[in-house]
Amino acid sequence: MKKQYDVIIIGAGVVGSAIARELSRYVLDIAVLEKNPDVCNETSGRNSAVVHGGFANPTGSLKARCCAWGNRIMDQLAAELDFPFKRCGKVLVGNTEEDRQQLEKTMRQGAVNGCSGLEMIDGRKLHELVPAVNGSFALWSKRSGIMDPFLYTTALAENAHANGAEFYFEHEVTGISREDGYYYLHTMRGDFKTRWVVNAAGLGAKQISDLLGIKGYRVIGSRSNYIILHKRMGRLLPMPVYPVPSNTYMGIHITPTVDGNVTIGPDAENTDVLDDYSVPQGAVTFLATEGAKLWPHINPADQIRTFAGIQPKLVDENGAIQDWKVEIRDDTAPNAVNLIGIESPGLTGSVPLARYVIRMMQERETFRENPAFNPVHKGIVRFFACTKEEQEKLIRSNPDYGEIICSCEEITKAEILQAIHNPLGVSTMTGIKYRTRAMMGGCQGGFCQAKIEQLIERELGKDPADVVYSRSGSYVVTGPMRKENENDR
Amino acid sequence: MIAEKEFCADTELIRKDAVIIGAGPAGLAAAVQLYKQGIRDLVILEREEEPGGILRQCIHDGFGLGRFGESLSGPEYARIFIDEVEKLGIPYETGAAVTRLTKDRLVQAVTRKGLRTYQAKAVILAMGCKERTRGALGIPGERPAGVFTAGTAQAYMNLYNRMPGREVVILGSGDIGMIMARRLTLEGAHVQAVLEIMPYPAGLPRNILQCLDDYNIPLYLRHTVTCIHGKSRLTGVTAAQVDGQRRPIPGTEKEYSCDTLILSVGLIPENKLLEDAGIVIDPKTHGAVVDENLQTSIPGVFSAGNVLHVHDLVDFVSLEAEALARHAAEYIQKGDVPHCGLDILCGDGIGHTVPQKVSGERNFNLSLRVRKPMRGCRIVVRQNGREAAVKTMKKAIPAEMIQFQVPAGKLDRSGALEVSAEEL
Amino acid sequence: MKRKFTCIVCPNGCEIEADIEKDQVVSITGQGCPRGRQYVLQELTAPARTIASSVLVRGGVLPVASVRLTKPVPKDMIFHVMDAIRNVVLTAPVSAGTVVLRGVCGTDSDVIVTKNVPAA
Repeated sequence: MKKQYDVIIIGAGVVGSAIARELSRYVLDIAVLEKNPDVCNETSGRNSAVVHGGFANPTGSLKARCCAWGNRIMDQLAAELDFPFKRCGKVLVGNTEEDRQQLEKTMRQGAVNGCSGLEMIDGRKLHELVPAVNGSFALWSKRSGIMDPFLYTTALAENAHANGAEFYFEHEVTGISREDGYYYLHTMRGDFKTRWVVNAAGLGAKQISDLLGIKGYRVIGSRSNYIILHKRMGRLLPMPVYPVPSNTYMGIHITPTVDGNVTIGPDAENTDVLDDYSVPQGAVTFLATEGAKLWPHINPADQIRTFAGIQPKLVDENGAIQDWKVEIRDDTAPNAVNLIGIESPGLTGSVPLARYVIRMMQERETFRENPAFNPVHKGIVRFFACTKEEQEKLIRSNPDYGEIICSCEEITKAEILQAIHNPLGVSTMTGIKYRTRAMMGGCQGGFCQAKIEQLIERELGKDPADVVYSRSGSYVVTGPMRKENENDR
Repeated sequence: MIAEKEFCADTELIRKDAVIIGAGPAGLAAAVQLYKQGIRDLVILEREEEPGGILRQCIHDGFGLGRFGESLSGPEYARIFIDEVEKLGIPYETGAAVTRLTKDRLVQAVTRKGLRTYQAKAVILAMGCKERTRGALGIPGERPAGVFTAGTAQAYMNLYNRMPGREVVILGSGDIGMIMARRLTLEGAHVQAVLEIMPYPAGLPRNILQCLDDYNIPLYLRHTVTCIHGKSRLTGVTAAQVDGQRRPIPGTEKEYSCDTLILSVGLIPENKLLEDAGIVIDPKTHGAVVDENLQTSIPGVFSAGNVLHVHDLVDFVSLEAEALARHAAEYIQKGDVPHCGLDILCGDGIGHTVPQKVSGERNFNLSLRVRKPMRGCRIVVRQNGREAAVKTMKKAIPAEMIQFQVPAGKLDRSGALEVSAEEL
Repeated sequence: MKRKFTCIVCPNGCEIEADIEKDQVVSITGQGCPRGRQYVLQELTAPARTIASSVLVRGGVLPVASVRLTKPVPKDMIFHVMDAIRNVVLTAPVSAGTVVLRGVCGTDSDVIVTKNVPAA
């Protein structure tokens, strides 16, 4: 028995989740198929987490338009969806006359792109904004910001879910066929039937495009490594610090996270391998050295983790990076929205891009508005971010808020239990980690990971060996150490 | 309105002579000794559900030889102190996680019954340490499941009855790593190798013999893990020999096929509360800078045990905490302890010292570690060009903390002290 | 013939050297205390070790209780002792000091519980 939907979105990254959420404003049966066990597992979650202004992309491009638009609506989205977002501004610092010209050009481009709050500032103002940064002057973008990409994507997905969209994890689409006006999507866990398909597969979008019969795109991966620094360093960095950008690469920048850590990266390098997130030997030293040229507080002792991310870039035959491609090929693949090369600023531009996609769909079909649509999503209340009075109140209403499981990040049992019972049904350790920040502090789960693993076993009734860290097969323990009647085995 | 009143009552300051943070070996010993010094208005706050600290999971024996003359397991060693605390009626609260400490010695704890805020005359920091992680080392490669710190693997086995893996490689020759090598072997896992980046082991010689040699587990010095493999669960690691600068030597790589990598690459004092409170931290120990009274840069805040500097023997943790208690009692009773204006500097061959400041007026106990193994050496304390104290040793290794008394008799009232290790 | 030993009796880990001729110990040097000499003699004739492990507990706040040997057992007995320990199942509450296996595997060593495990 095939499950039938009006729209199936392939990919639960930030774009797929945004499309699901924006589509759930209409009376439609929506499903999202995701090959990973959770949302935001690839490009969407593996980046600098910056809300861009929209000045860095060529005027008129879809990237520039969605980015500037996304920047404007981010406060409203954060209020509706309850995810961490700080409009802290950012600086692009320069030293030479050539730098100044490039920054002024960027500023002019920004003005035409509709970005506000751009200002050239001298060294004094720069050092007032960001102490100790190496630079003589800067372009200050007051409306740039930082956010939590994972909680943003989770909020979009959970809000879509609350409004009726269904999420299927570990459902990789391996084949697509079309018959009598319906698409049939094949996965290892069964087939799905749908009138509309949206290819929001990110790094996998070219493969899905090929399955849809839309061939010939050239997509390369731009692979980047990052270092994460301890929270004590975040206190010294009020906003992201960027070097002078080129049109294709933002350069290695130093970025505070909404939680007070600092990331350093990316060291973009082109690749054809789109699933290798290993961080190579030399990258860490290189990033630390390059980063220190911009901001001197980079010390190996403060490094708590590294990560890598890959952005899919659509290129022409000369290798030049192209704008996002969003299309419906009525001839080869009707009712299929094909999104190719969705890279930065996809995080900032995700909701505008989703609305753009829906407008294209609505040019071909009228969707009836869903009167029950509720745009509001409440995230897990974070104990550590509450005032003392709020904390008292939380503990009184639920004593699990008075039991701290992750000491480094001050995450309580109540938050972890809410994350374990998340509406999307995700049961991985990283699912708990990204929803709560447990295991993300100085000890990286040294003290709390076993407790959290035990809670997952107990709350979800799982066998020990079935608790996974992230992907399927990433079992955390092999099973009980002692069993009754063990020597009889 | 009733709720409002209750809330006010809940958040009233609780005044105490001493608030001890942590009910591990340091906190328990400090509590008992404070009580014996006449300090009765005290409380121990413990974040876990039971007292004992990390000893709860250190089920191997070898504890208490120095103190009790017998080889106890960690839980038994802790029990002796818990029994004493309970016998004396010293109050302790478990499930109480301290989240704030201020310069004015306000201590805020989170409990299932609500927040508690204490105003303490003296605060005793006894939170122990945490383990260095893969992220801190920056080991390249993927991020599969199956990479554990030794203590996490120990907790899985000894507290939760879970087996971390079957085919194991251990990086780092710290004591817990070696002890886990034996534990895993006894439970049927296959420990393929222990790799140590330094040219000498990080743990004690007895553990090399009874945890590795006894079970034919090879220890490779000057080796490290250069890459971690596996997209979901660990599938293997690449190891290589390193040169004098600890850089991998190309061509020496060896692949291990394993599902588990255990890291035993060092311990770091649990110093988050200290940083938040603005306590001065020694970059060498990662614990507080303390004077001979074990007082930190904030008057009335004292520190001992692994939160101050990482010890290799719990017996010394207890002794240090008891010394702390005597100083803290003096502080509580007199409102002050002697001023310590003389710095102790690390000279040749010395990794760190505790304390870092002294008065020059009292005998003090000096703890230190040497930077490299030495056969036959003198540990010399110099002040103003003169030798103030000397300890001669048959051997000195970084794995063993060295402690001795420095008599005040030969100390001047001014001039920094410098400690150095001289090979004979 | 000279043989080197690392004493495991205490954390000092003395490096002890024994001079042996025709199965007779001629001299033992390097030990910091008399226990070192005893250790070497034992090591030469019948090496013995202690171990610590866990036993299952039914209905406790923890699923296992820690145990240890009260005396060293011959080295080659260790895995037999482990098999015996693996078969033990206790019911909470369990108190430290309880002997769970007396004279385990015919040795003169007992297996004792080292941790209280209250009933859940």
